[in-house]
Amino acid sequence: MIIAERKPFAEIKAMLAPYKKILIVGCGTCVAVCLAGGEKEVGLLASQLRLSLGLEDKRLEIGEITVERQCDLEFLRPLCDFTADYDAIVSMACGAGVQFLNQLCSLQPVFPAVNTTFIGVNNEVGYYTEACRACHNCYLGITGGICPVTMCPKGLLNGPCGGTVNGHCEVDPEKECAWSRIYHRLELEGRLDNLREILPLHPHDRTTTPGTVIHPAYKRRYGLNE
Amino acid sequence: MSKLRETLGAGAFPVVVELKPPKGTGVDEMLAVVKALAGRVTAFSLPDNEHARMRLSAIAAARLVQEAGGEALVHFTCRDRNRLALSSDLLGAASLGLNNLLLVSGDYVTLGDHPQAKPVYDADSVQLLQIAAGLMDGHDSAGLALTGSPAFFLGAVVIPEAEPLGPQLMKFEKKLAAGAQFFITPPVFDLDKLRRFREHLPETPVKLLVSVKVLGADEVAQAAAGQTRQVYSLPPDLVNDLAGKEPEDILAMGVKAAGRLVRQIRQEKLADGVYLKAKGRTDLFTQILEAAEL
Repeated sequence: MIIAERKPFAEIKAMLAPYKKILIVGCGTCVAVCLAGGEKEVGLLASQLRLSLGLEDKRLEIGEITVERQCDLEFLRPLCDFTADYDAIVSMACGAGVQFLNQLCSLQPVFPAVNTTFIGVNNEVGYYTEACRACHNCYLGITGGICPVTMCPKGLLNGPCGGTVNGHCEVDPEKECAWSRIYHRLELEGRLDNLREILPLHPHDRTTTPGTVIHPAYKRRYGLNE
Repeated sequence: MSKLRETLGAGAFPVVVELKPPKGTGVDEMLAVVKALAGRVTAFSLPDNEHARMRLSAIAAARLVQEAGGEALVHFTCRDRNRLALSSDLLGAASLGLNNLLLVSGDYVTLGDHPQAKPVYDADSVQLLQIAAGLMDGHDSAGLALTGSPAFFLGAVVIPEAEPLGPQLMKFEKKLAAGAQFFITPPVFDLDKLRRFREHLPETPVKLLVSVKVLGADEVAQAAAGQTRQVYSLPPDLVNDLAGKEPEDILAMGVKAAGRLVRQIRQEKLADGVYLKAKGRTDLFTQILEAAEL
């Protein structure tokens, strides 16, 4: 899932300073799981703004709503009926949700309330780690299910760098070296031969942004050759 | 031509000394080392933004070294350039007469003095060796033909004390397959570790330069406090002997230890040559050479 962290309150408050009536829109999927932008966090932010501005004798009218997924038109379109009355919208979704909402609400500025950090996993409550760089060319079948692009800070494809010390990473000594993990996993599985071949340079042309994927079954619908 | 290649090929125990390209344009100190030692050592090595700390370009420094009468060994790190820039700079180095290369992944940016810089790593060190070997064969990494091709002498790093050793040996074999013609190790202080590593080397002879380093007072203090984190081990006796001494005394003792190591490496044929790291100082290099009877 997408992991995000809420922006510092002072930054959000400063962005909203010119406005009198705002709508905070939460997202019920990834950012809700990582406790950054779900329904509860919408309520918290609204309360924080009311308290803080109240202490300064300022008034800000705040609407609150959370949709299932801000990155999905099906859930986002009904929102359009609510947004017209507001001066500004605050999205608590990841950057994808913020931009999708911005596309739909063309009359008001849309502000992000979270910093989108990575694609990761939920280890335990409140503890998330990065797991995928969405590199368009998955190596996990070769590398024992451990991603060298993500788990090695240098993204090295052909083995460890010279900075590995006692199987730990040069960049973060608390972390195991990704290539030590890959090697041991493949050794356990009897698949070390996987590492004999030199992996070629990564095809970065595939990662040119913004990416587009059209499912093969829908190519005709979107006017593409099947 | 490469004196380093010829000396290694002739089994004549080359000595490479590592210079410190300046942080700035003041190259006099660096070139003074070249002028003093050009007749005594085989080549002068120019790290490429070593430890991810920005310094004068290794290629420019290497050219200046050659103009001052020394032979250069230029490092190329994958950290700061993509495949276009690496290839283009490799050709640029060749056009300036710089053919001895050490191709490395490079220390990560957050460990250096520009921690917010974007780390590149478009290629890794194995792929960079392939890129350089491809240029020597007359084509770039996209397979396009070159007009004129370089004659590099391709060096790579191998870590004898890597723990675990398996992944390191796997990468070492890949580097050989990718075209590495010689290898340089990080500093070695414990020759038993080097002897054990040599048992893993392939039957095909591989040219190996072993690094011998003179520790500074700061490194000794860190090691004494158990705070050092290196890919080589420091014998506790050495650290105990050096700890608490005056900085210049530490260097003087380090120079003697380095001289002994070089002599022993040469006598036992534990390597084909040595790579000296001694703060880029002429006096220290000279004393090591004297202590090593070179």
